[in-house]
Amino acid sequence: MVTIEIVNGPLIPFPSDDTRKEDGAELIFNGRVRSTENGRKITNLEYEQYEGMARIELNQIAEETVGKFMIHDLFCRHRIGKVKVGEVSLHVVIWSKHRKEGLEAVTYFIAELKKRVPIWKWAILEDGTKVPSECTHG
Amino acid sequence: MIQVNIKCFSQVKYALETDEINLELEAGTTTVELEKIIREKAEGKLDQVSLRVAINQKYVPNETELKEGDEVVFIPPVQGG
Repeated sequence: MVTIEIVNGPLIPFPSDDTRKEDGAELIFNGRVRSTENGRKITNLEYEQYEGMARIELNQIAEETVGKFMIHDLFCRHRIGKVKVGEVSLHVVIWSKHRKEGLEAVTYFIAELKKRVPIWKWAILEDGTKVPSECTHG
Repeated sequence: MIQVNIKCFSQVKYALETDEINLELEAGTTTVELEKIIREKAEGKLDQVSLRVAINQKYVPNETELKEGDEVVFIPPVQGG
């Protein structure tokens, strides 16, 4: 099963699940906002989405990931709007029978997200200036 | 003639200083031709920026012919995560 949410506001993590009897791996990834962008100090990132298409692409990548790897479920929450340094902007949980396919699935999902989902970052500098982030590495 | 709506994000919004543009184009205009118009409007600010194109919320190949009422987005490198 796939669950995808794009949220504007604090990100609530998916709860750990002790009821799963067939999944030996519960993999949790949290992407957090760093304090620098290309060597410049920032206070926040502001995430901008192309509403509609961002969700469509994210859902498609999640479905692809579940189809490509032997995993059971993939849950993802991505924040938009202002996110302070240190806060979580991306939260992904994958459950799989074994660790190896789960780890590969997390890597694939995030790599594809960073290539295809129309979400962008604006850096809010310490003086309050807002500029498009130049950060494009995968 | 056809009307299209161009939504602007990230570096495209920054370069053009607007969220969206409505343009009237010759029937048969392609995405490549429209990209050239957008880059000219940006006066060099998009010269170093690679752009993909989406029409009506789907990525499309270059040289796709535009239709009346299309919503077009020139997508700079994405940065989710």
